[in-house]
Amino acid sequence: MEKIKFTIDGKEVEALKDQNVLEVAQENGIYIPNLCSNPEVKSSGGSCRVCLVEAHQNGRMRLVTSCNYPVREGLEIKTETPLVKRIRRGILELMLARVPDAEVVVELARENGIEEPRFKKDEGENYRYKCIACGLCVQVCEEVVGVSAIAMLNRSYDKKPGTPYMKPSEVCIGCGACAYACPTGAISIKDEGDTRKIWGKEFKMHTCSVCGKPYIPEAQIDWIVKTTGKDRSFFDKCPDCR
Amino acid sequence: MGAISSFNDLDRYREEISSSIREDIPRVLICFGTGCQANGSVKVAEEFERVIKDKGLKIGVDLGVKTTGCHGYCENGPLVAIKPKDILYLRVKPKDVAEIVEKSIEGNEIVERLLYKDVNTKQVIAEYQSIPFYKHQQRIALRNIGEIDPTSIDDYILRDGYTALVKALKMDPEDVISEIEKSGLRGRGGGGFPAGRKWRSCRNADGDVRYVICNGDEGDPGAFMDRSTMEGDPHSIIEGMIIGAYAIGSNQGYIYVRDEYPLAIKNLQSAIDSAREMGFLGNNILGTDFSFNIKISRGGGAFVCGESSALMRSIEGKVGEPRAKYIRSVERGLYDKPTVLNNVETWANVPVIIKNGAEWYSHFGTENSKGTKVFSLVGKVNNTGLVEVPMGITLRELIYDIGGGIPKGKKFKAVQTGGPSGGCIPESLLDLQIDFDSLTDAGSMMGSGGMIVMDEDTCMVDVAKYFISFLVEESCGKCTPCREGLRRMLEILTNITEGRGKEGDIELLEELCDVLKWGALCGLGTSAANPVLTTIRYFRDEYEAHIRDKKCPAGVCQALITYRIDPDKCTGCMVCARKCPQQCISGEKRKPHTIDTEKCIRCGICREVCPFDAVIVE
Repeated sequence: MEKIKFTIDGKEVEALKDQNVLEVAQENGIYIPNLCSNPEVKSSGGSCRVCLVEAHQNGRMRLVTSCNYPVREGLEIKTETPLVKRIRRGILELMLARVPDAEVVVELARENGIEEPRFKKDEGENYRYKCIACGLCVQVCEEVVGVSAIAMLNRSYDKKPGTPYMKPSEVCIGCGACAYACPTGAISIKDEGDTRKIWGKEFKMHTCSVCGKPYIPEAQIDWIVKTTGKDRSFFDKCPDCR
Repeated sequence: MGAISSFNDLDRYREEISSSIREDIPRVLICFGTGCQANGSVKVAEEFERVIKDKGLKIGVDLGVKTTGCHGYCENGPLVAIKPKDILYLRVKPKDVAEIVEKSIEGNEIVERLLYKDVNTKQVIAEYQSIPFYKHQQRIALRNIGEIDPTSIDDYILRDGYTALVKALKMDPEDVISEIEKSGLRGRGGGGFPAGRKWRSCRNADGDVRYVICNGDEGDPGAFMDRSTMEGDPHSIIEGMIIGAYAIGSNQGYIYVRDEYPLAIKNLQSAIDSAREMGFLGNNILGTDFSFNIKISRGGGAFVCGESSALMRSIEGKVGEPRAKYIRSVERGLYDKPTVLNNVETWANVPVIIKNGAEWYSHFGTENSKGTKVFSLVGKVNNTGLVEVPMGITLRELIYDIGGGIPKGKKFKAVQTGGPSGGCIPESLLDLQIDFDSLTDAGSMMGSGGMIVMDEDTCMVDVAKYFISFLVEESCGKCTPCREGLRRMLEILTNITEGRGKEGDIELLEELCDVLKWGALCGLGTSAANPVLTTIRYFRDEYEAHIRDKKCPAGVCQALITYRIDPDKCTGCMVCARKCPQQCISGEKRKPHTIDTEKCIRCGICREVCPFDAVIVE
């Protein structure tokens, strides 16, 4: 893989060509706030716009999302300029008004000097709980799990993830990957006894033969057996007891 | 291989069909553009057929009745042109047909009442080319529209159709690209990116498969340039695409059209089919080893699908959402393959440039914007319709010389260019020469060529609110600035127009515009602030009047106006009192009336019906 050099905030760093700026920054201990991208999910990123940075190249400057901007030789990245701070603050203020209960967003906004948004907070029928509509849940379900039980529905400010017609999905395996990946904890997943409830559907959990704890939905076992050919008996014990 | 399997075949075929045409015999051209069809041109055409048959006049070789694409002068439809005399009849009804046939086809007379009459000079004009609306135009992209039957490939071939393709196929692909580069042709879809440079990057990109795409997803309110071209001259788009495909080395093209354009889809499909039968599309085109096919991809009509990356996702069958274009689509576009995407008008320009040469083309236009541009001129202007003018023409020439000025002697206020995410340009800039760069400098953009003229009765805050509400509806919702920023802007604008504006609102709007401009993901989002930015820039006092004085100077925003009757002008005719839906106008016969402002819903009906202009808005 071709190695290249570029700078972040004046510091020269080395990276592989086509790595993204955020990843390289993290490897070099440079913090860039971000929400919607996940290194394990290739299709993720670019939607929340929190990780915007200044990219200077060939005498041209623009704001780019560091989570999906490919690095190039000679690129100059600036992460804390007045412009970056101003636009990031604007984005966080908008986001905070949408999801005033999302702790991650409240914290990020505070770090950037915003306590209260100047816009009316969403409530009532506009109450969106903690969802910032970034689509990471949908990308995980499609790309990592391979099930595509959910999709982004509607457009504009009504955009949200959901199952078809918001009815219990026929294909969801209850794995909960969407909920684990969600950057704001917006997806409700409830395990009670040997039942898991997610996306309005109940899943029977399989119990560990050693410790007796329900630990995986039966539907998820079916899916793994079907797609990988793994022996069903493998799931007799939970990961802790294996 | 089709009917025409070598370069010489085309010339032979053209001679063959042209020998059967006699230019001295009258021909009737009836506009079958969407506007004229809506105005009843289908019935008019049927009536022509019937009258001509009843009279025993021969149709076809001797007398042709042709249905054509849009002539552009839509507000005066249905349009009927009589060739070779070049008479243009406006607003023709079926009952006029017998008279037209008798006087202008059998005889040598003119039906004067159906001719163009200038609203300003009252001059009556018979000849198509002398009507001011057409006189100042320079029709290159629209060269064939209105002259040919779009469903007849022979008509297109007769007007030198596909000669540019023959010329291109004899050239080296690199030279075809150089010719387009030299012509200075810039993309007509909005961005104005040099077409030749785009083609070259794509040709040089790594990859074995390449695609060409025609963006026909015209979605701006009030814009119908591309629609008319697709409906009225589909072959010029197809020929342009074949030349482009040959230049970059592509074998597959797509035309993306919204399903709301059924006639465009029908005419394009019929043109693709006949081009394939003739051998202009398919394998071994005109006997060469170059093969190329075109498929139509029908869109669902989402505005965002006009954005190139969203459009490509839509063709792939995915949700039409933009992606970051850090890697350009000339390298990784449709199905991740190198792709050239140009819009309808750009493609329609390609054959003429190849045929007449880059030098001929670059002779039109300004230093950095060559050629012509098609605009749909609409709004408060006397002659609305589709016009094609050389770049560099001033807004004043376009609006006054071609558009005939503002109706009812009203004052010009602003012109909105570039579609919903364009900007509003004020009277002080009327002498601005229109090109890509000057419009951007003025805070607006060329966009795809929408041009909405507004008069003194327009409230600019209300206009900004209208465009932002359109964009709120059409935002795909993928990125935070566009999804959240636009609706917050709409909230603030609504507050201002409804009398709840407060100090600091203008500055907050400007801040939001800044976030959108820098922070949004795609071109739609980054330009969405333009209507607000330009109205603040040029009409800040109007915003301030709404916020500080709670007044709408143009008398539009209902919450901020009151209706009153001028006692000196009112004659007590009682018309307003009878028409008032609230029954809140009172007064005795032949004595001045008054409006109960408490009950008044400010619908404006009294003002409309008053014969004495006695109703005042304050």
